[in-house]
Parts: sequence; C-alpha cells; structure tokens
Amino acid sequence: MDKHKIRNNIRKLRFNNGEMTQEQLAEKAGVTRQTIIAIESSKYSPSLELAFRIAQAFGVPLGEVFSYEIGEE
Amino acid sequence: MSNRKNEVTVTLVCSLFILAYYLANIFQMIQGGGLNSAEVFRLWVVVIIANIVLTIAGIIFSYIVINIVHAIKTQKEEEVRMLEDERDKLIGLKGDRVSYITFSIGVFLSMLTFALGQPPLVMFSLIVFASLMAEILGNISQLVFYHKGA
Repeated sequence: MDKHKIRNNIRKLRFNNGEMTQEQLAEKAGVTRQTIIAIESSKYSPSLELAFRIAQAFGVPLGEVFSYEIGEE
Repeated sequence: MSNRKNEVTVTLVCSLFILAYYLANIFQMIQGGGLNSAEVFRLWVVVIIANIVLTIAGIIFSYIVINIVHAIKTQKEEEVRMLEDERDKLIGLKGDRVSYITFSIGVFLSMLTFALGQPPLVMFSLIVFASLMAEILGNISQLVFYHKGA
C-alpha cells in the first residue's frame, strides 16, 4: 500500500533562524507549541493555510519547509 | 500539556466522578427494591446540573492553577495564552464523533430493552448512562488523538 507522508524541515529552519524556539514559531504562526511539536515530528499534517504561515515565519517558500513523499509500506 | 488538552482531562475526571455517583445511586435503588420514577428523575436532574457545574468549576480552577504555575516558572505576571488552533478543533470534532456514535448505540440499546419488555425507567436510566459514557469515551478518544498527534 502506498503511504503518503508530508515531511518537513522545521527543525533545520529553526536552527538556521538563530535557534528559534518552538514557542516563538508557534506565536508567529498563531498556533500552540504542541501543534508545532506535532508537525515537526510528522505526527500532524497542517492545513495549507497554516503551512503557508509557517513558511512565512521563516521567510522561505512553502516547498522549502514541506515536501510530499509517496513511499511503499 | 496544552490548554485544550487540560480542559479535556478536567472534563473527563468530572464525568468519571459523576458516573460513579450515578451508578452508586442506581445500584442502591435496585438493592432497595427497584427503580422508582421520582428518584430516577431526581437523579437525572442532579446528574445534569452536577455535570455542568463541576465541569465549569473544574476548568476555571485548572486555569487558575496553570496561571499560578506559569507565573512561578517564568517569574512574570503575564497570563498564559489560551489559544485553540486548527489541531484542537480537529481533535474536538473527532472526539464529538466518538461521543455521537457511542450515544447513538446507547440510545438504541436502551430502546431495545424497552422493546423487549423492560419497564420505561430502565430505558431512561440507560439513556443517562449512555450519555455519560459518550462524554467519557469522547474525552478519552480526544486524549488519544492528542497523544497520536491528531
């Protein structure tokens, strides 16, 4: 069965942005820190709107934050 | 723990207390010679009011505790951000679906007992039990979804 997975580079981008904390990113994106934790660990796929807000918080295009993969399970 | 998750936990604990109180009263009635309508309807009212009052009081109390702990941790007098985001809403909806399904099954089984010849009071008692179980299972499922991510 195909397993679709949305991968992200949030950890790397936070590091590149002066070790931005999850709390700071959450405030910029307008969500709770727990949601950022869930997204970062790929447990939760955000809505398109939230994905754009996260990308905006880092000042990069959406494709640099999230990527879509299809893998075999 | 997020604020929403905290709220769900408080509601769950309150519901468990109320369920225990309800079952204790029902078993007492059964041991004392069976269900009587005045007592069952009084219990309905007590359960509904207690559920609302306990849950609201519990949530207010938990907010106060969270703010005190936050102030001690950060040494600042700022209020904790009470935010409900898209993930909280999604988990809330999933929990509501579990509650709805549980309650529907409960009401169906309650009516089945009536159809099979049990007195109406048994059906009413089972409906209250089903509503409490629906709330409890809905809250448990929300906690599971929070643990899983969504």
